[in-house]
Amino acid sequence: MEVAGKRLSLSNLRKDIYPSYGFTKAHVLEYYRRISNFILPHLKDRALTLKRYPDGTEKDFFFEKRCPEHRPPWVKTAEVLHNEERMTVCLVNDLETLIWVENLASLELHVPLARAGSPETPDSIVFDLDPGDQANILDCAMVALILRDLLSQMRLASYAKTSGKKGLHVYVPLNRKEATFEDTKRFSKVVAEVLQRNYPDLVTAKMAKESRIKKVFINWSQNDSSKTMICVYSLRAREKPSVSFPLVWEELDMLAKQGDPEKLLIMHSEAVSRLETKGDLFQELLTKKQKITI
Amino acid sequence: MAGRTLWKGYIQFSDFNVPVKLHTAVHQERMQFHLLHKHDRVKLHQQMICAHEKIPVPLEEQSKGFELEDRKYILVDPEELEQTKPDNGRMIKVHEFVRTEQIDPVFLERMYYLEPDKTLNGYNALVSALKETGTAGVCTWTMRRRSCFGSLQINGKVLCLNTLRYADEVIPAKSLGLEKASLSEKELKIARELINQLSAPFQPEKFQNEHQKKLQDLIDKKARGEKIAVLRPRRLKPTAPDKLLQALNASLEKVA
Amino acid sequence: MALQEIWNGTVSFSLVAIPVKLVRAVEPGRVSFRLLHSKDYSPLARRMYCPEEEKMIPADEIIRGYEIAPDNYVVITDKELESVSPERSRTIEIIEFIDMKDVPPVYYDHPYYLVPSKGGEKAYCLLVEVMNQTNKGGIAKFVLRDREYLVAVKSTDGALTLITLHYSGEILPDEDIAPKTGKIDPGEKGRMKKIIKGMTADFDPDKYTNERSKKIMELLERKAKEKGTVEAPEFEEEEGEGPVDLVAVLEESMRQVKKHR
Repeated sequence: MEVAGKRLSLSNLRKDIYPSYGFTKAHVLEYYRRISNFILPHLKDRALTLKRYPDGTEKDFFFEKRCPEHRPPWVKTAEVLHNEERMTVCLVNDLETLIWVENLASLELHVPLARAGSPETPDSIVFDLDPGDQANILDCAMVALILRDLLSQMRLASYAKTSGKKGLHVYVPLNRKEATFEDTKRFSKVVAEVLQRNYPDLVTAKMAKESRIKKVFINWSQNDSSKTMICVYSLRAREKPSVSFPLVWEELDMLAKQGDPEKLLIMHSEAVSRLETKGDLFQELLTKKQKITI
Repeated sequence: MAGRTLWKGYIQFSDFNVPVKLHTAVHQERMQFHLLHKHDRVKLHQQMICAHEKIPVPLEEQSKGFELEDRKYILVDPEELEQTKPDNGRMIKVHEFVRTEQIDPVFLERMYYLEPDKTLNGYNALVSALKETGTAGVCTWTMRRRSCFGSLQINGKVLCLNTLRYADEVIPAKSLGLEKASLSEKELKIARELINQLSAPFQPEKFQNEHQKKLQDLIDKKARGEKIAVLRPRRLKPTAPDKLLQALNASLEKVA
Repeated sequence: MALQEIWNGTVSFSLVAIPVKLVRAVEPGRVSFRLLHSKDYSPLARRMYCPEEEKMIPADEIIRGYEIAPDNYVVITDKELESVSPERSRTIEIIEFIDMKDVPPVYYDHPYYLVPSKGGEKAYCLLVEVMNQTNKGGIAKFVLRDREYLVAVKSTDGALTLITLHYSGEILPDEDIAPKTGKIDPGEKGRMKKIIKGMTADFDPDKYTNERSKKIMELLERKAKEKGTVEAPEFEEEEGEGPVDLVAVLEESMRQVKKHR
């Protein structure tokens, strides 16, 4: 087939990627095609880590940080240093690259918080809220709402999305040249510790599994140049094709009160319809300039 | 002119009573700088914060405690503390006299002039007696509900009262843990000679505060938006221990 | 006892330069109190606070300003301050030596100690020893932050003391309060001298204790017996100013959040 004048041969379109849900590679490609206008700005100029599921979500997957050698000539790439190793990475800056990447069954699109051209300058701070054993996404929602209030006290606007799995991600856009991972990591760590101190039964800032039981772990260590986050609107590789999707705070507040964790899982079809009616709720993340003054 | 009368009392020792009025003896004016927040230049003020929770603590949530041991405090009520303040008195009680030079300046806190109150009787005699004996009176008195400890000294024709620091407020030089270095007789001799060569009478008028004017000029320049040339401070190279004698000799040659 | 360094630089006289640190010579007395948080008896610390943003400001965001008109400040950096007298901001140059007994006590302002930095011990000892033998002190000017000080450097019990002096212009004249006549009753003076001689002893400041301190100590003993002590929670002292303030701001924000939730 041809996308934007570029030739692309697609393969195994009928392959079941989400077998128990009857979602094939063709469905995957169709999903990404329809939401491409919304996801591309968030992928643009960021070193993509591919997470490929060639035999579907129930079989093995593999991470690929390097851009495959057999890439078409029009795929944009960047040279980055990862753990002191030079490597060529893919930049998903256009529809044809997105389709090509999805043809490789890279269901999940993981990107760093910084762009490839300025790998040490995070555009945002992220609080990765991860429920421990016996905790769920509703607990994450409670923590996210406290976090929103705390950040807003500090005059920082924040935005939440579902991880598409069990957790939530809260982002604070910065979009400033002066930002450093050192600052954002320090900031997120102290925030996590303050929350832990104030809500010891609900929050932990510690990675250790045992300290996470019944609690929400605020993974502040994601604020690092070597880490990646699941891109907003990316599919997740679970049984069902769920999506990492933004929720406005009012909705999150409402859903948290309703107490049904399932409602916090946005599926592919809902993602498409919401995007087509409400647009990109994460747009501000790319433009809003904010400063952590301390 | 000496400052206004702050307090009235009388000097008492043996059967002498010398009535005096207390005046400030020093007036300092300095340029007042403010601390500002870098990004918006809002004037900052000090705030007490809880060292544990790192939050500001308003006055009504503050208590006074005496630290008995690490983290253990005896709490005191402000009213009870107020009651420990002494009642005001009028007597400057002289307990003893000491040779003036025995009072190390490290103890001197603040000086006040004493003006004879109503009568010159005793005042002039005391000035003269202190001068002729080379002594100062060690005294205590209560002023503004504070127990003061001080020395009664002369400054020209005028009696002065110097408040002294209590012994527990002065860090003893011994506690600095300084070690003695061995010095040769030659080094000591040349150093003494050098110091004598560099000696002069104490003439404080020679030293004016030129800095204030320069600082004012700098501020004016900056206010006009002129560029300021920033000069690096000069740091002298320390004299190496084995070059000490050589440096002393060279110094002596220079001044002699 | 390790005292916090207030300044470091060099003391020099003629061609000799001694690296030194400036430390305190005075501390609050034995009976001093700490302010505590009534809630849990944590000690309080003084911090700079922005009234508009209602938050603690870390040291690296604080600047010094001179008010030229209401709320209009000229900002002066530490480097610019040092630059006003670059030769004096890191060097205490003894210009001349004086007899310490010639200094009228009214000139003395505030004492500090100078302690030798590494490599300066020998020259330091020499200066201490020779000043002690001659009862001489050095006169110098030096600049600390926004101020130039006239100082006397002298020897005290094996250490160098630096005492800031008032400038002569800061000493108020005493002519208007001095006795109008020098009339003396010789009999009275004679009697006084006799009494003074009889009452003369060595200066021993240890003999004098603050009467109030005694009363406070009594109060404390009584309180300790009646009520015992309170204990502050254990907490880690954070390193550096920045993180402390970040935590302070966050905790304050957190308090606001909790209030409204």
